[in-house]
Amino acid sequence: MNSMIFKLVAESTLQTIEMVFWSTVFSLIMGLPLGVLLHVTDKEDQGGIIPKPVLNEILSRIVNILRSFPFLILMIILMPVARFILGTTIGTRASVVSLSIAAAPFVARVIETSLKEVDPGVIQAAKAMGSTNWQIIVKVMLPEALPSLVSGVTLTIINLIGYSAMAGTIGGGGLGDLAIRYGYQRFRSDVMLAAVIVIIVLVELVQFVGNRISSRLLAKR
Amino acid sequence: MQIRLENLKRNYGSLHAVDGVSLNIPSNTVYGIIGRSGAGKSTLVRLVSMLERPDEGEVWYGDKRVDNLSKKELIEERRKIGMIFQNFNLFSSRTAAENIAYPMEICRKPKDWIKKRTEELLALVGLEGRGDAAVSTLSGGQKQRIAIARALACEPSILFCDEATSALDPQTTRSILALIKEIQKKMNLTVVMITHQMEVVRDACDRVAVLENGKVVEEGLVNDIFAHPKSAVTKDFLSNLTNVKESIVKLSDKTGHYTLRFSSSTTSEPIISRVTKETGALFNIVAAGVQYIEDKKYGVMVLDIGPDEDTEKKAVDMLRKNGVTVERTVVEEEAK
Repeated sequence: MNSMIFKLVAESTLQTIEMVFWSTVFSLIMGLPLGVLLHVTDKEDQGGIIPKPVLNEILSRIVNILRSFPFLILMIILMPVARFILGTTIGTRASVVSLSIAAAPFVARVIETSLKEVDPGVIQAAKAMGSTNWQIIVKVMLPEALPSLVSGVTLTIINLIGYSAMAGTIGGGGLGDLAIRYGYQRFRSDVMLAAVIVIIVLVELVQFVGNRISSRLLAKR
Repeated sequence: MQIRLENLKRNYGSLHAVDGVSLNIPSNTVYGIIGRSGAGKSTLVRLVSMLERPDEGEVWYGDKRVDNLSKKELIEERRKIGMIFQNFNLFSSRTAAENIAYPMEICRKPKDWIKKRTEELLALVGLEGRGDAAVSTLSGGQKQRIAIARALACEPSILFCDEATSALDPQTTRSILALIKEIQKKMNLTVVMITHQMEVVRDACDRVAVLENGKVVEEGLVNDIFAHPKSAVTKDFLSNLTNVKESIVKLSDKTGHYTLRFSSSTTSEPIISRVTKETGALFNIVAAGVQYIEDKKYGVMVLDIGPDEDTEKKAVDMLRKNGVTVERTVVEEEAK
């Protein structure tokens, strides 16, 4: 009996980790450039190095709209996208598609916030030395913001763990799926409890590792 | 490289931050630009260093006009100047040596060349062997030395110092100024120093321009400006010089009506005695002191002149004729 629970939980945990890992990767691939763009096109006094007010306003609005959707609704809206890319709307891979797209605007804001913390004097110095905008972004802005970026990514992963559990409720697999199907629909509160405990452990673990990396980076400075 | 500014103007809304500044900054000198906060110094340095475009006017580096360059030319031209700042603005993500290497990296210089040059620069600013240090472990003075090394990496012909010593204690300020002067001579640099500290002008600059409300109110050789200050701002700056205060002995709490300044040519003659003898004026000395600028001696004396207004006027005229600067002190001035 217990070994069955163990097997179920272990399987679901792996699914969750897989889902969270890939959606983190893809949401970063989409969110990082978007976050950089949001920051550099902002007004000059906000640290923007290539002020583009109209573009900035449009991007900002899109990000806000996507972020104000309740996550579950966004997942359902994004189902056709998953079907278009993968041909299915069920399973962990389909969840990765909608999770990544849903998390990208969040990532973008997190990145933008981190970049805003960079000392404007340092950016001015880089500019005065004749850096191109690309050099300022890649060689100054991102490295200067790195500890804060790591914290932001940690936050993103933890959010994605929560989101992935929700994705489970609409057939996405993973610990959320397990908790709903066994714990809720079959009244197996032990399975529910196990799933919740694993999620808590995962979150704690990610937070711990993230904090360690971030403080290591800060200690070297 | 000579820098020429022609009728520079920059407004922020209704504020005329820089309001028609024309200056000629000769090649191979340390040129000071002094002003109170809000006088327009920071804007001026941003205009001169191509960080901002003027609304009107021209900036020339030698024979090249630089205020209207295209984006690409601007980046090229910025790589030929060096700049240091009040807050050092070092990259915290890089070590001391990596900071110095940055301007060379962005110019795509070969790696081993960068390494060699970085060592040279560390030695030049007196920080051999500290290349691997994290920026946060360095003191303020050391940070500014690294910033100087970074500014000089690509062998610029102009170095801008934007309040470069304002965050440093007096002793460190002196050593940084000495370093800047030494490097100026070694590399034949044109150094433009923006500051609100008269000490910096006295200790480091050859020429100075005094800025007030976005305009140049006084310009000239530092020696001349110190001996014969014309504008109220300059006088105010001079009276706030800590060194002057320290070296003047106050004999009374009362403020004298006149401040006399003797430059080196006048200090070797018995002018006061001669004036007394010829006009019958009586001097009541309230305070006196000596000031040294660039190894030249200046005497400062605060006094009242008697016994009557007529004699007073004659005495002042005679003093002025003999090359002494005479200023009437405002009586309401606080007697500190």
